[in-house]
Amino acid sequence: MNKMIPSRSIGVPKPLIDGPEKMTGKAMFAADFQAVDALVGRILRSPVAHASIVAIDTSKAEALPGVRAVVTEADCSNNHGVLPIAMNEWALARHRVRYRGEPVAAVAAVDVATAQRALDLIEVTYEELPAYFTAAEARAEGAMVLHDDKPGNIEREVEFDLGDVDAGMAAADLVREMDFHCAEVCQAQMEPHAAFAEYDAARERLTIRPSTQVPFYVHKMLARVMGMPESHIRVIKPHIGGGFGCRTETLQSDLIAGLLARKARGTVKLVLSREETFITHRGRPETHIKMKVGMKKDGTITAVDFSAQQRGGAYSGYGIVTILYAGSLIYGIYDIVSARFKGYRVLTNTPPCGAFRGHGTVKTRFAFENLIDGMATELGLDPFAVRRANLLVAPTMTENDLLVNSYGLDQCLDWAEKASGWKQRKGKMGPNKGLGMACSHYISGASKPKHWTGEPHATIHLRVDWDASITLLTGAAEIGQGSSTVMAQCVAETLGVDMGRIRVVAADSALTPKDNGSYSSRVTFMVGNASIDAAQNLKALLIAAAARKLEIAPEDVECLGEVYRGGQQDQGLTFEEVVMEALTGEGTLAVKGTYDTIPESWGGRKYRGAAIGGTMAFSYAAQVVEVTVDPDTAEITVNKVWVAHDCGKALNPLAVEGQVQGSVWMGMGQAMSEETRFHEGLPLHANMLDYRVPTIIESPPIEVGIIEANDPHGPFGAKEAGEGSLTGFLPALTNAVADAVGVRATELPLTPDRLLELLEKKARDERAGVSVSGKLA
Amino acid sequence: MEHLPEMHLQHPATVEEAVKLHAAAPASRYLAGGSDLLVNIRRGIERPDSLVYLNGIAELHTITDGLEQISIGGAVTLRELAESQLLRKPFSAVAQAAGKVAGPSHREYGTLGGNLCLDTRCVFYNQSEWWRAANNYCLKYRGDICHVAPGGKKCFAAFSGDVAPALLLFDAEVELAGPDGRRRIALAALYRNDGMDHLTMTRGELLVAVHVPKIPAPVRTGYAKSRVRGSIDFPLAGVAVRLGLQDEKIADLRIGLTGVSPLPFLVRGLDKFVGRKPDDACLEELREVVRGQAKAMKTTLTPPHYRRRVAGALAQKLAESIF
Repeated sequence: MNKMIPSRSIGVPKPLIDGPEKMTGKAMFAADFQAVDALVGRILRSPVAHASIVAIDTSKAEALPGVRAVVTEADCSNNHGVLPIAMNEWALARHRVRYRGEPVAAVAAVDVATAQRALDLIEVTYEELPAYFTAAEARAEGAMVLHDDKPGNIEREVEFDLGDVDAGMAAADLVREMDFHCAEVCQAQMEPHAAFAEYDAARERLTIRPSTQVPFYVHKMLARVMGMPESHIRVIKPHIGGGFGCRTETLQSDLIAGLLARKARGTVKLVLSREETFITHRGRPETHIKMKVGMKKDGTITAVDFSAQQRGGAYSGYGIVTILYAGSLIYGIYDIVSARFKGYRVLTNTPPCGAFRGHGTVKTRFAFENLIDGMATELGLDPFAVRRANLLVAPTMTENDLLVNSYGLDQCLDWAEKASGWKQRKGKMGPNKGLGMACSHYISGASKPKHWTGEPHATIHLRVDWDASITLLTGAAEIGQGSSTVMAQCVAETLGVDMGRIRVVAADSALTPKDNGSYSSRVTFMVGNASIDAAQNLKALLIAAAARKLEIAPEDVECLGEVYRGGQQDQGLTFEEVVMEALTGEGTLAVKGTYDTIPESWGGRKYRGAAIGGTMAFSYAAQVVEVTVDPDTAEITVNKVWVAHDCGKALNPLAVEGQVQGSVWMGMGQAMSEETRFHEGLPLHANMLDYRVPTIIESPPIEVGIIEANDPHGPFGAKEAGEGSLTGFLPALTNAVADAVGVRATELPLTPDRLLELLEKKARDERAGVSVSGKLA
Repeated sequence: MEHLPEMHLQHPATVEEAVKLHAAAPASRYLAGGSDLLVNIRRGIERPDSLVYLNGIAELHTITDGLEQISIGGAVTLRELAESQLLRKPFSAVAQAAGKVAGPSHREYGTLGGNLCLDTRCVFYNQSEWWRAANNYCLKYRGDICHVAPGGKKCFAAFSGDVAPALLLFDAEVELAGPDGRRRIALAALYRNDGMDHLTMTRGELLVAVHVPKIPAPVRTGYAKSRVRGSIDFPLAGVAVRLGLQDEKIADLRIGLTGVSPLPFLVRGLDKFVGRKPDDACLEELREVVRGQAKAMKTTLTPPHYRRRVAGALAQKLAESIF
């Protein structure tokens, strides 16, 4: 009867607990909510890239029968932004528009046709201003500033110079420098942005269901922009169709839905089109990188000197953080003794960029791993040997004060080398086939939260009632990555109970404790630890109850998950019996668990902004990509990818495998086909035909090796699993192409037309007698 | 995706009834698979108040193996075309082209008639109403400027159907029905070199069938398509090749192109290859001829240089691989 061993939940492949709803179509996404009286919201967007708004006349729209609300900036109490130090965006443009497609006004009407007619009736008078679509144009002398407090259109200039770079370069046997250019990319998540907002006019309260990764930030910004008490807002996160970072800040559509619902004193559904979702952007910025590396003959890196210029778009958003990451995370993966960085985040008349999976690190890592691959060729070194010559030894602090407590890159390299048959196959692939490799890493959450209030980093509530079910209440946003599942696993493992006993209620501000949200791969680490803490606190209560009932000392109670007993001969108490005893005289149990990061992980102070990069633990990844290039059409086929990811203890190996494959696949899109393109600030790419996300045809088999270099602070030793593997694909691909056809791509995406140009140039050079045998320019 | 406006949907049972219903409404359009038309309606490129739905008309769904020709109804789906046993050698190019249109779900709905009458495409045209208005529209729709070739008065929007160049290899004819009855014209005559108005059909005409004459000579055909992704995408360049050899020399050679100009067309000047051995030098020359006539313009995000070059490369590869 009584199961006499604790159930295991950690390290066991578990299907995600919200799978059945998604598989059967029962899961409700923001656009699925219906109400009899729901109004349709629509947004009027700027047709011009940069202009003063001279006048907005909404009177005709307001007079149209069926229109229930028209809102403009006049309805906003304040501006907003994700970084407390850089709030300069308005839900609806105030006095000026700064990119084509920026929201200017919005309407709520009884149906979509009326809403569209109302938009057509709004008259906006613009006085056009000079517009800048590249970082270089925006930085040019005499360029008009987009924001008065940002001279030169520089959002942030970052500079550091650690160690002795000049001496390092002088000591090197080989110094190489190259320029790299990476296009801007969008997340192109499955679900377009949407929000369902209900305003309770009698009580002056708002309930909103936005498609967000950060319900807490949306809550804060709604209160700020709508001028409402925070206590009068309820944010309920529905199911989310992907985020990948574009929903890690409050979007205008979230705020506009709230503004419309209040003004209409009713319910508003606002669903953006795919084009509008692309225009909202918050993806990875177009970036120019200069990368210079000094290397010894044995592959040891002596110095890195690099710069990055990002086209940030029209508003600050996450910009400061992105450009800081682009510099700071040169560290944390290899033993870098000296590095110099200069970074510019530039404001331009294009949609604002944001935090895209692998935030800030991807393009720098692409440049670095691409450059050292060529240097390895020049020095006659194997690319794996070059990486092995520069490994860190944990525990350590990097030169810029990043804490590295666990480090499995060496094991990742071993796995990828063996699984891909690198030693046997490299150099023997035959014409137009090649192998390339690269490494990457990522943080397990930023250690210092943006909104520093003194609260713990994460809080979990567990509720246990007479039915002996355990309700886990968390503010963490399940966005398809499996966060709710991982928390249930952590609690189940700690208590030894079956996961079926646990019900997760996530991200409803009326019910669940606050959480900062799902971004920077923080949830497993922070919220996982809080879940363990909560479960331990609950377990202590249950053990005390069992001890009372068994009339023994608590330390003599043996907890077997579903059974608590005094000794081997004891039949023990069922979980239900223990719960009833615990409730006696107490009532329903409500316990809490929290987690806080340690100050050593908060990053450095050696330069302004050095805290960005600080994390409790880094994940590591190494991957090998095999390609075939068609020399006539320059089409690249990725035959296979072998990727090893060190995520510490793999709490849910099934979910880890999915996350790693998804990361590699997303990196593949960025490396090979995805890019935004603008015509005078108008997005040419704002649909799924012209924004070329790979299809299943392009998707190669991705073999995943899970490496478990457990972190001493991680939940059961776990670290990040959802981002780190993305980055390595980009350089591994260009390195593989270089191996296959002898041309080194420095511009992404490496579309067939770009590769063809490289191949044609190579052919011309060869005809002209220029040696191109693996030498870098 | 923008919202779909309200429209009347008509369900005729015969071709003649369809023509009559179409004539009765001032702004009506024929609807078959809808994979192109409905997207264009959502984008405001097309604004019909009435749709005449053709899929209930039995005649349009038949494939007939006649003595001298194969006849394919206009509403035969692209999947049916791709899988048809009648379109094996020497008609392989037609089945291959149909099988390379968009993705599997599009081919389930998309029809032969729809693919042949596909509107021309351009990155400045296939955008939302808001987008086109913000860009002052274009020659093809409401505007007076071409953003592809500013200053010009010609529209370069590219014909992007895959099946037409394959059918051109066989002197196919199309049967049209309209208010004035039925007529049969060469498929080549269905098109004109004008991105704004590339179909010669008159108002109210619909494509009833395609008639493909059987060919006696032992020729082989194939279709190749350049696209960034192996599914979904329209052709950056599409190439259909027909090649017949006699005594190891070229006896019959035709090449059809799509995606590189406002109409699908047969490459000119291939007579000079007849009688030659299809050796490397010959095929290199062929490649250059095709490349020279594939005059792609900046109508896609992929640059014209690549599309011209890849059209030649695909023609060469196909000619090499067919035999």
